[in-house]
Amino acid sequence: MKLRGGYNITLEGRPAGVVTKLPEPQRLCIPLFSRRFNFSEVLVTDGQVVSDGDTLATDPDNYSVPLLAPRGGTVRLNDTDNHIVLEDLACPAGKAHTPEKDLPHIVQKMGSAGLKRYKLLTLGAWQFFSDAFTGDLPDPMGKPQAVIISTLSLEPYVARGDVQLLNRLLQFTRGLEHLQSLLEYQPIYLVLPDIKSEFATRVREQIRGYAWAKLIEIPMKYPYDNFNILARGLGLKGADGPVWSVRTEGILAVDRSLTVSKPCLVRILAVGGPAVKNPVHVKLMAGYPTDSIVDMFTEGDCLRAINGGMLSGEAINTAKSGLDTEARGITILSEPKEREFLGFVRPGSDRASYSGCFLSSFRSKFSERLTTALRGEGRPCISCNYCEEVCPAGIMPHLLHKYLYEDLIEELDEARVDLCVQCGLCSFVCPSKIELKQQFLEAIDLIAKEKEEARLEKEAAEKRAQEEAARREAEEAAANEKAKADDAPVEDSGE
Amino acid sequence: MKIIRNIFDKLEPMFTGDGSLKAFKPLYEAMDNFFFAPDKATLVAPFGRDPLDIKRFMSMVIVALVPALICSVYFFGLRFLAMMIVSYAVGGAVEVAFAVIRKEEINEGFLVTGMLFPMIMPPTLPLWMVGVGVAFGVLVGKELFGGTGRNIFNPAIVGRCFLALAYPLQMSTNWVKAGTGGIGRALEYVTVDSVDAVSNATPLVLAKGGEIVDISKMFLGNISGSIGETSALAIIAGGIFLLMTRVGNWRTVVATLLSAFVLSAIFHNSDSERFAPAMWHLCAGGLLFGAFFMATDPVTSPVTNAGKWFYGIIIGIVTVLIRNFGGYVEGVMFAILLGNIMAPILDEIVFKIRIRRLAVEG
Repeated sequence: MKLRGGYNITLEGRPAGVVTKLPEPQRLCIPLFSRRFNFSEVLVTDGQVVSDGDTLATDPDNYSVPLLAPRGGTVRLNDTDNHIVLEDLACPAGKAHTPEKDLPHIVQKMGSAGLKRYKLLTLGAWQFFSDAFTGDLPDPMGKPQAVIISTLSLEPYVARGDVQLLNRLLQFTRGLEHLQSLLEYQPIYLVLPDIKSEFATRVREQIRGYAWAKLIEIPMKYPYDNFNILARGLGLKGADGPVWSVRTEGILAVDRSLTVSKPCLVRILAVGGPAVKNPVHVKLMAGYPTDSIVDMFTEGDCLRAINGGMLSGEAINTAKSGLDTEARGITILSEPKEREFLGFVRPGSDRASYSGCFLSSFRSKFSERLTTALRGEGRPCISCNYCEEVCPAGIMPHLLHKYLYEDLIEELDEARVDLCVQCGLCSFVCPSKIELKQQFLEAIDLIAKEKEEARLEKEAAEKRAQEEAARREAEEAAANEKAKADDAPVEDSGE
Repeated sequence: MKIIRNIFDKLEPMFTGDGSLKAFKPLYEAMDNFFFAPDKATLVAPFGRDPLDIKRFMSMVIVALVPALICSVYFFGLRFLAMMIVSYAVGGAVEVAFAVIRKEEINEGFLVTGMLFPMIMPPTLPLWMVGVGVAFGVLVGKELFGGTGRNIFNPAIVGRCFLALAYPLQMSTNWVKAGTGGIGRALEYVTVDSVDAVSNATPLVLAKGGEIVDISKMFLGNISGSIGETSALAIIAGGIFLLMTRVGNWRTVVATLLSAFVLSAIFHNSDSERFAPAMWHLCAGGLLFGAFFMATDPVTSPVTNAGKWFYGIIIGIVTVLIRNFGGYVEGVMFAILLGNIMAPILDEIVFKIRIRRLAVEG
């Protein structure tokens, strides 16, 4: 498999391989939105008592993917904007949902495979799936061209795949079997860091018999676990249909919802970052208050909590918010405190850089304590080519930046800004501190908007042309009639 | 450190808002950020950044020049320091003036130009000429194009090219005999009038007359020539440091030196009477200095790695051709200028090929 670019940033605060439990929360504050979803259809009323696993809301734009209540409790709708608050939480009952009994008409309509897919969607496992090319939620009833399963999770401070797999080999292989039963001979690519490891051998033994499951080895280098990069590396084309992609946690969720028919309410998250004292993995549910996580794991103030990894996450702005349903990790960085005296002439044995400009390049294993500092001033691009070297998508960030600077939208599209996978490495290494990733996001939006506008305009023009044609036809018909009517008396008179 | 901070805090009101010196705000900001690293935080992902900034990037070039600088002082005396001060002062003034007019930040790129420029001058050049040259180089070579990052030509070479054309006599005669012994000329101030020191032939000039200077002498730098260019040893030492820090790209250097070496070896083999040996060509004149410190300038060389190979090959070949067949004894300066002109075209070709390949992806 051909992979290019990539860069492993050695940073302090990587979570350890243990999973700890946090105290049960007093209340849950569940956001009605996440990176991909917007649960705008709320199905509960204020004051209603729900039990765990009940559907609180759905996203009508994404195949009605449900927002499940992680715990039983009383619903408060007006407490926080765009959040559902659950109070008076009850211990999880853990009851199994059996739609076969509740919804016999679905079994009749869709058959057993359709029911499995329906269960995946309603029990919360389907939201772990994404399309490798678009990143969107794939159609649960659709047919993929291939499935990519990755046990890797390489971005600093998101939950590691090997930790999630800990003691769950049986569930994992069972999940693979279930997933395979949904497919019709489409290939399954299982991506592992080492296909000769003990774990890989065991997986191979377990899944023997599924000839179309192929083990793929990739180096542990960020962002080779990105599904878009993997799909392109495997030679798949976006035009050939969706590529279902799912990580370890998704396969485990498939197993849970199809083997025991229980909703997926908790997930394993990483809490890490240089500001975290003891970075660990934790088992948490959606709605868990983020400020209490920050308080539990850090000391002092001037911190910034990020939902997701350090390179592609989003800052958590509201203090009263809770974890969303797609959270994979919480990264906590401290804000820069003081201005360093003659910072740029320091030897720098304590700063890890992509370039060799610091003394630390002579140290072997070295992790840096990073803050949110920009570490320099914005400058024009000096064409150092670092961004192109690290880019895993094979595009030329410096060129795209120049096109964007000159407003050359067509050229931007031609240079394939849409291939950008938003890994954030170019912005990270840029010595001129140019916000490349952000600019490309905006450019992609701009191009999509222009294309949409052009499409609408074309449609409108076609409609106008049709109307015009219809009008002309009607006119002609009328004229013909008239001519006929005019002709008729002449003929008459001729007689 | 606290004292300096206090001075800046006291000065700040003069430069900000409606202060009396508000036009010079870029100068204040540059000095402030020079002494104290800015504490600006990231606003969007990625939330942490690489520690490398342009200041560090440019200062690496200066560190890499230190061996050559020590040799310069050792071989040609204290006058070099005076030339450096003039170069920094005049060039810096031009840079500040443009920053004030454009209301932009002062760019660090000048730190390198101001240092490189006197190193490619003959040791006895009048100080005012150094000033004129660097002013021309920074003004025409850089500021007129929009400042660091937007220039096409290497400013130091533009300045030197201007002087070579405007004052050919001073630029090509009056070379100083390099100092020898324990401290060399490190404590002397050599001018045109110190007759005992002034010779008038560099190895390249002598070669035109058929006299080949010993390569070991040229390797150490014990020859006459432009101030910083004589010692191959010091340039290679600094140059390797520059490549290790990844500030200079090794592809450019290897392509330049290898193509020059191969071509001059071919010439030497075809007619060893007329053409000097390849090793001699590598160590002579400004080829090493140009390859390591001038051609590697990221702004004026091609961005793409493929482009860098061709860029280096063009520089190497043109240098050897001018030296062996042209009217000028040294061709590195023109070769790099020609390379600078070709750089955008080379890039454009690579871009086109890569974009065509990208069209079928994903």
